[in-house]
Amino acid sequence: MMSALAWLEQTPPSVFMREDFYAYFVALIGHAWGMALLVGGGIAICLRVLGVARGTQLAKWRSLFPVMKLGAVLAAVSGLALLAGYPAKALTNWVFALKFVFLIGGVWLVAHMARVSFSKGVEPVGLVKLQAVLALALLLGGVAAGKLLLYTNQMLLTSDAQFETGLGVTE
Amino acid sequence: MTYPADPLLDPVKIVNWAIDTGLFDIAYSSWGWPLAEVVHFTGLTLLIGTVGVVDARMLGAFRGLSLPALHRLVPFGVLGFGLSAASGVVFVASSPDQYLYNPAFQLKMAVMALAGVNMALFYATTARKLARLGPHDAIPRAARWFAGISLASWLFVIAAGRVITAFRPPAWFWCGWCS
Repeated sequence: MMSALAWLEQTPPSVFMREDFYAYFVALIGHAWGMALLVGGGIAICLRVLGVARGTQLAKWRSLFPVMKLGAVLAAVSGLALLAGYPAKALTNWVFALKFVFLIGGVWLVAHMARVSFSKGVEPVGLVKLQAVLALALLLGGVAAGKLLLYTNQMLLTSDAQFETGLGVTE
Repeated sequence: MTYPADPLLDPVKIVNWAIDTGLFDIAYSSWGWPLAEVVHFTGLTLLIGTVGVVDARMLGAFRGLSLPALHRLVPFGVLGFGLSAASGVVFVASSPDQYLYNPAFQLKMAVMALAGVNMALFYATTARKLARLGPHDAIPRAARWFAGISLASWLFVIAAGRVITAFRPPAWFWCGWCS
């Protein structure tokens, strides 16, 4: 695996992401915006299921899904660019996998709630509200895992493998 | 490198305050800074997910969602702002020179101030007119302007926050008010 990561680090996109002054920060901004739209949209839907803004029709909240999709695409594209710059940093860190588990689980739960409950026209109760709490926890867990990547990585590049570092490249 | 004298803000006094209050030790404990970052971004996400949704509705998105009902999301946005602000204080108080003289941080603060003034003007002039709007009623032009400025401001705040690390003083020292 390390040899594959070492090869990836030498590809032109990877070198570009590390050496261009703007590229990494553009990707960071795109990733932050994408995550804010994806997770923010999910949070809003969960809050509605939990009873906030009760005066709004549940079915109409489906109109937030295109915003979440836009956020997901933005986060994925910029995330791939960030991954290209420092593949070993992410792919040798189990917190990176945890971030995906949390986010995919959270988004799936939000979509599941919408599919099963939104068309019924009745206020969610019991299990659906529990799902909303779990989805909230998973989405915010995804944000937390993303931030903790910087403090849990074992290396930035395969050439750093002999050093154990908690220092990252961004705040 | 020595910084020019700052007649407004004294980084040494700020750090001493952080040390006296224990914030400094918390920030530089093994978990302090990472935890503050998690709280900071949780707050921002909450802010975008609530105030951002209300702003987008005022801009014409999510038709069919009643604006007065949607407004009940705003207290959660205030909570998100509070979380971000509290964790932001930990960052700034523990390492003031890295923030106060950083152009990205200064821009972030300036745009946050703009968002604050925009919000105050919105509630002073326009918010009451929206209280009886139905889910499909047209949004007044003034409200759309306030919402556009608000949404753009918060997205800019996120972007400026992400580039703070690109302008680390003293390499990028900027203090327009220093002598």
